[in-house]
Amino acid sequence: MGRFIYRRLVHGLIVIFGVTIIVFVVTRMVGDPVQVMLPLESTLEQRAAFEKKLGLDRPIYIQFGEFLGNIARLDFGESLWQKRPAMDIVFEKLPMTMLLTAVGIGFACAAAIPLGIIAALRPGGMVDRVTVFGSLLGLSVPQFWLGLLFIVLFAVQFKILPTSGAATPAHIIMPALTMGLPTLARLVMLVRSSMIDELNQQYVKTSFAKGLPFVRVVGLHALRNAGLPIMTLVGWEVIRSLAGYSVVVETVFAWPGIGLTAIQAIERDDLILIQAIVFTAAVCVVVINIALDFIYKLIDPRLKLT
Amino acid sequence: MKKYGSLLLAALLVVAFAATGWANTGGITIALGSEPTTLDPQIREDGGERAVNDNIYDTVLARTPEGDLMPSLAAQMPKLVDGDTWEVTLRSGITFHNGEPLNADAVVYSIKRVIDPEFNSEQISFFSTIKDARATGDLTLQVITDGPDPILPTRLYWLKVVPPKHSKDPKFAENPVGTGPYRFVSWQRGQHIDLVRNDDYWGPAPQIASVRYRFIEEPGTRLAGLMAGEFDLITNLLPEFTSHVPKSVNVLGLEHPIIILNADKGVTQDVRVRKALNYAVDKQALAQGLFEGFAQVAQGQLLSPSFFGYNDQVKAYPYDLDKAKKLIEEAGAAGQTIEIIGTSGRWLKDRDLVEAVADYWKKAGLDVKVRIFEFNEYLNRLFDRKTRADSIFVVSSNELLDADKSFSAYYKAGGVGSSNTDETLAGLIDAARSKTDAQKREGLYHQAVQLAYDQAYFVWLLNIEDIYGLSARLVWPGRVDARLLVREMQIQ
Repeated sequence: MGRFIYRRLVHGLIVIFGVTIIVFVVTRMVGDPVQVMLPLESTLEQRAAFEKKLGLDRPIYIQFGEFLGNIARLDFGESLWQKRPAMDIVFEKLPMTMLLTAVGIGFACAAAIPLGIIAALRPGGMVDRVTVFGSLLGLSVPQFWLGLLFIVLFAVQFKILPTSGAATPAHIIMPALTMGLPTLARLVMLVRSSMIDELNQQYVKTSFAKGLPFVRVVGLHALRNAGLPIMTLVGWEVIRSLAGYSVVVETVFAWPGIGLTAIQAIERDDLILIQAIVFTAAVCVVVINIALDFIYKLIDPRLKLT
Repeated sequence: MKKYGSLLLAALLVVAFAATGWANTGGITIALGSEPTTLDPQIREDGGERAVNDNIYDTVLARTPEGDLMPSLAAQMPKLVDGDTWEVTLRSGITFHNGEPLNADAVVYSIKRVIDPEFNSEQISFFSTIKDARATGDLTLQVITDGPDPILPTRLYWLKVVPPKHSKDPKFAENPVGTGPYRFVSWQRGQHIDLVRNDDYWGPAPQIASVRYRFIEEPGTRLAGLMAGEFDLITNLLPEFTSHVPKSVNVLGLEHPIIILNADKGVTQDVRVRKALNYAVDKQALAQGLFEGFAQVAQGQLLSPSFFGYNDQVKAYPYDLDKAKKLIEEAGAAGQTIEIIGTSGRWLKDRDLVEAVADYWKKAGLDVKVRIFEFNEYLNRLFDRKTRADSIFVVSSNELLDADKSFSAYYKAGGVGSSNTDETLAGLIDAARSKTDAQKREGLYHQAVQLAYDQAYFVWLLNIEDIYGLSARLVWPGRVDARLLVREMQIQ
């Protein structure tokens, strides 16, 4: 067990380190924050002075050395765009995205597992067909479009929900639904197919034959055995939501999270903030992966953690 | 760390879910495209910051909604004492929201603060000629420029005056204190900024009691918020949405899309070709087709009629495809390749404009290569001083409403975005820069406009209108300088 944790941590650190270095190199290759941040009509002297102030006129290896030192202290420096420590911004925005992801994925799981099980009980039945059709639809709809559709429907037409922002609990409903729907669609399909497999196993038939209650057989034994692929997908969806969907959903709903901040940082070529965000995203991915391994072990104690 | 993180999460949950209870009593909500990064009015060049701080702070001079300069904190227009010294007299009896007096010391302090190289303000280009300032009395001060600077009054229109004591507070950027018609109340990062009317305001009392700013980048979401009745004013309404909103206001704005032509090399070296490129484009059709009429044809110059230096004798090249074809034939350029550089998503309809222009040029008999780049890559080409592309699309924005800034950047040989080596033109612009006699200065710009027009150094396209969406209850005529002054708004 100790060996497992040690190995996973080392792997994780390598991944995080690698990602951060790639980001350092790429951000410095593709853009020049000075020309993006100053007004177009600024003179060459003004640009040079600004570059100097940002420390971007120094040789790249000096900047890189400083950058490595900063990572070690978890301090990426001041965001060029916001002029305050980049990690402060990340810590301010990340919880909002975590909240959105938790509600969105929570909703997806809460809906997908019962729906998938019901569909699996009678494959080809009415419920099954409707579920499959619905998931295909959910998978095909682009998120930004879905978000705008929700806004037009629930905020503009019916006026029952606020259009955007994050001021009250009501504000989270639409963005979380938008975030969770593609996950719901994928998850339903997976729960359904895993459960169909499990329900055809001998032990399920035996359990029924022994007269065990239906809920116990399906909800406990079968679902638990179908749990591994489901957990894998849920973990994957959490990662995608945190580091992917959040960009679209937060932009549409003006949700003040890390995804919206990421896109704004990229637009403004804020090297420092981009690095801090990517670093944080990499840490999240590694942590979630390690957590998943532990959850596998919980679901199936036979698994050996190596 | 884990413990700390979950605590933080819990705290933010509370903040996020705390009901805000913004009573809608005589207050309005304005949706901006971006959140300010700071509320220090002197550091950034940031539209979101400006939109809020324009209401908290006063400037030494102001503009009428039509764009004419007028005294604001100053009691009268600044007087030129000698070639490079201006005298400013302030109004008496004005105090900051925290009680600090508004006097010559405060103005001198604000000037020195913004021009201090250590302070590294992004607004430095607005004040670059100011060398020093000194108080000569309680309410009088002198501003000293580096050589004669005719635009100094315009620069003072940009100068927000900060309170000397409070602005040294490290939290000043989050707790702004000005002399303006609205006081700062609170700023929930990512959510909103609230202001309330300053009942001790020295000027006419504003009608609107409070204002909340929201920050929404996505234009569709801003529009939805206005339609749902959550907002009273939204900025940058897309032309195609104007029919969906309760009310809209459009004002000729500060943005001019133009195409810079390379006068020194390639197919555009021939003035006949450059003229042909102008004749070939139906600007009226672009204004109608792309901007639904919310743009006006630029009159052969990089200036709006409200800008200093505008030459009303110069008119746009008319759309005349036959003439364009003929000129291209004469120049022996038919079938030759011309490259046009543009970007996508930075400015309203940028890509559509470039593609539409390319189509017109093709019709005139040229082989047009459209090259659309990501913004950074595009900027590398716009600012490349060694090899200039045949033609580069750019949108110039001029907040000073004076020819100097745009002309120095694009008209003048050696300017950051210029593609000509015309010494006469550069001479006119240089001469105008230091002429303090407004009439002579204007004359020089008129000549510069005419010269650039005759040489067709650019394809002047449009002057885009700013469009605002308003709720049914809000009354606001708009301003040529795009400032969102809440004191000029009213609720019906």
